[in-house]
Amino acid sequence: MSSAIAMESEVAALIVEALHLEMAPEDIAPDAPLFGEGLGLDSIDALEIALAVSRRYGFQLRSDDERNGQIFASLRNLAAHIEKNRVQ
Amino acid sequence: MTWTRQKERGSLAALRLMAWIVTRLGYRIGYALLYPIATYFFLSSPLQRQAVRRFQRRALGREPTRREVFRSFFVFSATLLDRLFLVDGKRHGYELRVVGLDLLNERIARGQGCILLGAHLGSFEAMRAVADTGCPVEVVALMHQENAANVASFFAEWGPRQAAAVIPLGRPDAMLRAKECLERNGLVGILADRTPGTGKVTRVPFLGTDAAFPLGPHILAGVLDAPVMIAFGVWTGPRSYEVHFQPFADRITIDRRDRQAALDVIVRDYASRFEDIARKFPYNWFNFYDFWEEFGTG
Repeated sequence: MSSAIAMESEVAALIVEALHLEMAPEDIAPDAPLFGEGLGLDSIDALEIALAVSRRYGFQLRSDDERNGQIFASLRNLAAHIEKNRVQ
Repeated sequence: MTWTRQKERGSLAALRLMAWIVTRLGYRIGYALLYPIATYFFLSSPLQRQAVRRFQRRALGREPTRREVFRSFFVFSATLLDRLFLVDGKRHGYELRVVGLDLLNERIARGQGCILLGAHLGSFEAMRAVADTGCPVEVVALMHQENAANVASFFAEWGPRQAAAVIPLGRPDAMLRAKECLERNGLVGILADRTPGTGKVTRVPFLGTDAAFPLGPHILAGVLDAPVMIAFGVWTGPRSYEVHFQPFADRITIDRRDRQAALDVIVRDYASRFEDIARKFPYNWFNFYDFWEEFGTG
């Protein structure tokens, strides 16, 4: 298993845990939109994910990041962003 | 018909007209013209009239007079006129009476910011004017802008500084901005009386009949983990407002094991608090739509 895929499943588990979703982490398609269509998360869920990410990986997702639309677009993008910025 | 689908009926044209008038002729003329403007909206908006009548019937405990129904239209127009001044930071000539500012400052002193739960009752701008002057912290408001996009963009041009303090809902990072504001010990205003069409709601008693209230504002307050107050500013006369800050919760904690029941208790509490306020200020209720989803049912 490549490290990118390992990271995706780690982040999927984090999302399921943070949001108390009644689904298995592997059921989150890496390319499907997280918000609106697809998984159907909302901006409060985004906040909860951001808080969980900062607790687990030690860096903050900030609102002034212009790439937020992209970062939150899919599990794949989010996992890649975390991998690049994590400090723990 | 839900409020999200209702058009911003002529309000943009009326705003442009009022803005034109007050910049050239001043407040007094603008105020005098509120009578024909409010009369126009009163006469041309049967659904809104019915909505006001149904609300007032419950709030007053009797059938309202035509004059009382008109009064809601008038007060709403008056708050729009005042918004032209207040959004631009022009507070000269305004009398803003404040109740509970000490309680707000007490919470700000804790350094965790404060969430202000509001409703479409009175003027958010008056509340913000007080918060702006009474405590030297940042004030932002979370708002559904797509529903009043024209009005929002009008005020963005009119008072850019205040407009920047609105966080439009809908983007994934909207709530991150709210969180960051609280981290800077700022105030975050959230309107908790309207359901945006999508999203989770619960039906709780409001003025004797169950009405749908959104869960989102309370879930958000729980996640943001900051003190929560109820805040509103009611119009009491020409250029006069009464702004209230009331304690609501030190923290909103939602038991994950029984989330729905925990949220129901909180929303019930919020609704009963706003019920008291709505009864006390029945002409400041600005939900001009079928709040109880009962039109067509007699």
